Amino acid sequence: MAEEQGKQAPQESEVKSEIVVAGKTSSWLTENGFDNEALAPDVSNIEMIKVDADLLLPIATALYGYGYNYLQCQGAYDLGAGKELVSFYHLIKVADDVKQPDEVRLKVFLPRDNPQVPSVYWIWKAADWQERESYDMFGIIYEGHPNLKRILMNEDWIGYPLRKDYVSPDFYELQDAY
Amino acid sequence: MNSPTFEQQQQEKILNPSSSTQITQDLSENVILTTVDDIYNWARLSSLWPMLYGTACCFIEVAALIGSRFDFDRYGLVPRSSPRQSDLIITAGTVTMKMAPALVRLYEEMPEPKYVIAMGACTITGGMFSTDSTTAVRGVDKLIPVDVYIPGCPPRPEAIFDAVIKLRKKISNQSIQERATSIEQTHRFYSTRHNMKAVAPILDGTYIQSATRQAPPKELAEAMGMPLDAIESTEKKEVERG
Repeated sequence: MAEEQGKQAPQESEVKSEIVVAGKTSSWLTENGFDNEALAPDVSNIEMIKVDADLLLPIATALYGYGYNYLQCQGAYDLGAGKELVSFYHLIKVADDVKQPDEVRLKVFLPRDNPQVPSVYWIWKAADWQERESYDMFGIIYEGHPNLKRILMNEDWIGYPLRKDYVSPDFYELQDAY
Repeated sequence: MNSPTFEQQQQEKILNPSSSTQITQDLSENVILTTVDDIYNWARLSSLWPMLYGTACCFIEVAALIGSRFDFDRYGLVPRSSPRQSDLIITAGTVTMKMAPALVRLYEEMPEPKYVIAMGACTITGGMFSTDSTTAVRGVDKLIPVDVYIPGCPPRPEAIFDAVIKLRKKISNQSIQERATSIEQTHRFYSTRHNMKAVAPILDGTYIQSATRQAPPKELAEAMGMPLDAIESTEKKEVERG
């Protein structure tokens, strides 16, 4: 997840300044009436699409039907203190004898005070633990996830550690050792 | 010219005996003189049984130590999988806040006398996690008293042997008379009250069988099957197959 973050961060600023040409998948979605916004492709030239939280499920279902049968990575990152949280979904088409499978990355920008997005668990089961981790680290609520519990932190932990505005508790165990 | 006197003869007999003296030989071969402390310590330090405890990459080195190349059995170290049977814990690997209660519990379950070797940078100061980790415990000595620290990231197996030898030296100096005071730990060992409230375990054991996994909630099912255009019918079939 950290790699994904690093890769994408510089791209965000360019999105607004440049005119982005919609990629193959984005055009297909638009043709079929799915509202979406193409983002500039990342360094490895992978198409990125911004999606509304409300439309994530219909679009994800459509993309599943379109052939994106494998959720390679689900993760999240924080754009910065006071800014939005992003939940991303990296999809690829897995088939026999494919050298360069089609890839696409969906991004859902969520307000910090109420980050809620429907779970894609029911489309790709791989989202199970990854959405749990995004919930654990960023506090994004995946509605309809069957088992949305903390996966890495203690079950009684307060706060979401990977948010940029997270303040670490001053536990004795976490203080510097001398 | 004089023949040796009787006294001289006797002296010669003691200084240059014609054969080895049987009595002292037998004594030194069959009788050991020692103290209770010494023999007790010798027995203990020759059979330090470490608990199989490894939370990160340091345990790879411990595993090498168990293997035939380094072979820590020759020091009498026999890995035990139960804290009740072990008297040494080598904390091999980063300890997180989530692991900390388990580590303290394991330590407390070990019978006295027990020893701790803090292995690697993570268990000494938090290591590379000490800069910004939200969960790595900065030094395992904040949880349990440590006897020997092994620096390194991770330390070589030889370094663990060095620590074991130092621990053996420490054990050989201990005395039963001082047991009461030595068990009362004198090391850096501080425990703090967090005033936290215990919460019920969030994992209930019904993982894949849980009712929430049987079918998607109604709203999600509706959103997924939302008919929007012509592809909807084919796409729906695809979903049902998955």
